[in-house]
Amino acid sequence: MKRVVSLALSLALATSVVVADEKLSMSEADRAMYQEMLENNPADIFVEEGAELLDELGGEEALAKFLGQSEESLPKYIAGFPRYIDKIGMVVAIDQMLQAFMYDQGKKPYPLKSEEMDALQAYVKSLANNEKINIDVNANEHMKKAYKLGKQMFELRRGKRGLSCYSCHSPDVVGLRLRMQILPDLGAPDVKAAATWPAYRMTKGKMFTLQKRFQQCMKNALLAKLPLGSPQMVALEVYVTDMAKGQTIHIPGLKR
Amino acid sequence: MRRGLVVALGSLLVSSLAVAKDLRSAVESPDATKILQKDKLPPPKKYKMPKGCMTTDKLAIERGKYIFHNLNGKKAKTPPPPGLPKFVVVNGKKKPKQYGNCVACHNIEGAKGPGNVGPDLHNYKKHFIDTGVRTYAYVYQQIADARIYNPKTHMTINLTTGLFTPKEICEITSYVVSPKKEK
Ligand code: HEC
Ligand code: HEC
Repeated sequence: MKRVVSLALSLALATSVVVADEKLSMSEADRAMYQEMLENNPADIFVEEGAELLDELGGEEALAKFLGQSEESLPKYIAGFPRYIDKIGMVVAIDQMLQAFMYDQGKKPYPLKSEEMDALQAYVKSLANNEKINIDVNANEHMKKAYKLGKQMFELRRGKRGLSCYSCHSPDVVGLRLRMQILPDLGAPDVKAAATWPAYRMTKGKMFTLQKRFQQCMKNALLAKLPLGSPQMVALEVYVTDMAKGQTIHIPGLKR
Repeated sequence: MRRGLVVALGSLLVSSLAVAKDLRSAVESPDATKILQKDKLPPPKKYKMPKGCMTTDKLAIERGKYIFHNLNGKKAKTPPPPGLPKFVVVNGKKKPKQYGNCVACHNIEGAKGPGNVGPDLHNYKKHFIDTGVRTYAYVYQQIADARIYNPKTHMTINLTTGLFTPKEICEITSYVVSPKKEK
């Protein structure tokens, strides 16, 4: 109950951020709210929802079994996604793995873009909280290929402005300002994008997954949106996840 | 149509708890090759500045200025100057017209919340044109397709992508090199 009230409050606050936030990257008031939300992340409620959804699927025990893991080894295993899973036959992100899992449990898989899937994958990824990202982009030919494709996707200039991810997240521009926003180094310890999404975006008042965050950058920069789960999108996730390798996972994150 | 069939088949399999479970078929994995193909950036192109491109016409410079300082017709807060639409029709759909958002990367006279990814363009005429460091044709090319000077440029490509017309590039260029009163 208390949580619901605080959620409503923070949502109200979050809408006001949008207004206050237009000029500066973060005002004093927003910074104070950010501090407060760090202790009580509004996205916690979605993660809890995800826990309930996993319970309906047999919980961590069933998931571990599906993945050929013990409950003890599950967190470390989850910290290694996206990965190639033999019985699925492709490199998958956590959400796609969960679709296969649901199907295996005789359930109709949630669509990748559904809120149920966002909640479920946020919870499953949070099982790896405090683990370090251990993606292995050399694990096999499939991962090597995905990494290579991901790098290509990251550097590919396209769209009406001819921009790529690299245009704004390359080592020679990170830290500079685009309008008032600092261009983030996606692998830096204070950003570690792959270790912190799904995250709550204060400016949007909602939780988003890493791939959905990619899509927001694509939309802003006029690159055609890659569909969730496409081999190209998963490859991009592989590439960006490798940037944060060794960094500690903390889900849900909290972002501007 | 085909997708509907696949889904129908998929749920049939699920409900009958098929023996051989094809896990892969349950995973969404649409191919983005076609999307990427359509979104491709053409190779770098060298342009010749059109005749009469550089102008001191007030309205033309106002349009260039508006394109420089705004992102698109939906986000812009002030009405555009005459001759510049807020919305355009693409494939029968009304869409906000995209502007340059140059201020995202460049500081210039009167800029609000400028970025610093690109060089500061304050006093551009005095510093770069009057000193002979740059020509008008250079500035035109830079705005049209900066890859000609720097294949790895972080700057947006504005003409080769079809985002703007040559006339619009002329107006933006004219604005950048125009003498300005505000700080
Ligand atoms: C035109 C510039 C630009 C382009 C192009 C761009 N980004 Fe971004 N990106 C930004 C900015 C600015 C932010 C930070 C926004 C903020 O602070 O709210 C950001 C944030 C992000 C984040 C969140 C970082 C965090 O805080 O965890 C991710 C992930 C990301 N970008 C990935 C991508 C990918 C992948 C692409 C290419 C498909 C891309 N970006 C293209 C400017 C860009
Ligand atoms: C995403 C960042 C970005 C955007 C958006 C951008 N630029 Fe640039 N611009 C740069 C960078 C970086 C340079 C430096 C040259 C280079 O790296 O190729 C530059 C260089 C220039 C120069 C050459 C300055 C000189 O004499 O050396 C001009 C003129 C210019 N930009 C105008 C514009 C205009 C007009 C727009 C909008 C239509 C624009 N820029 C949008 C990043 C940007």
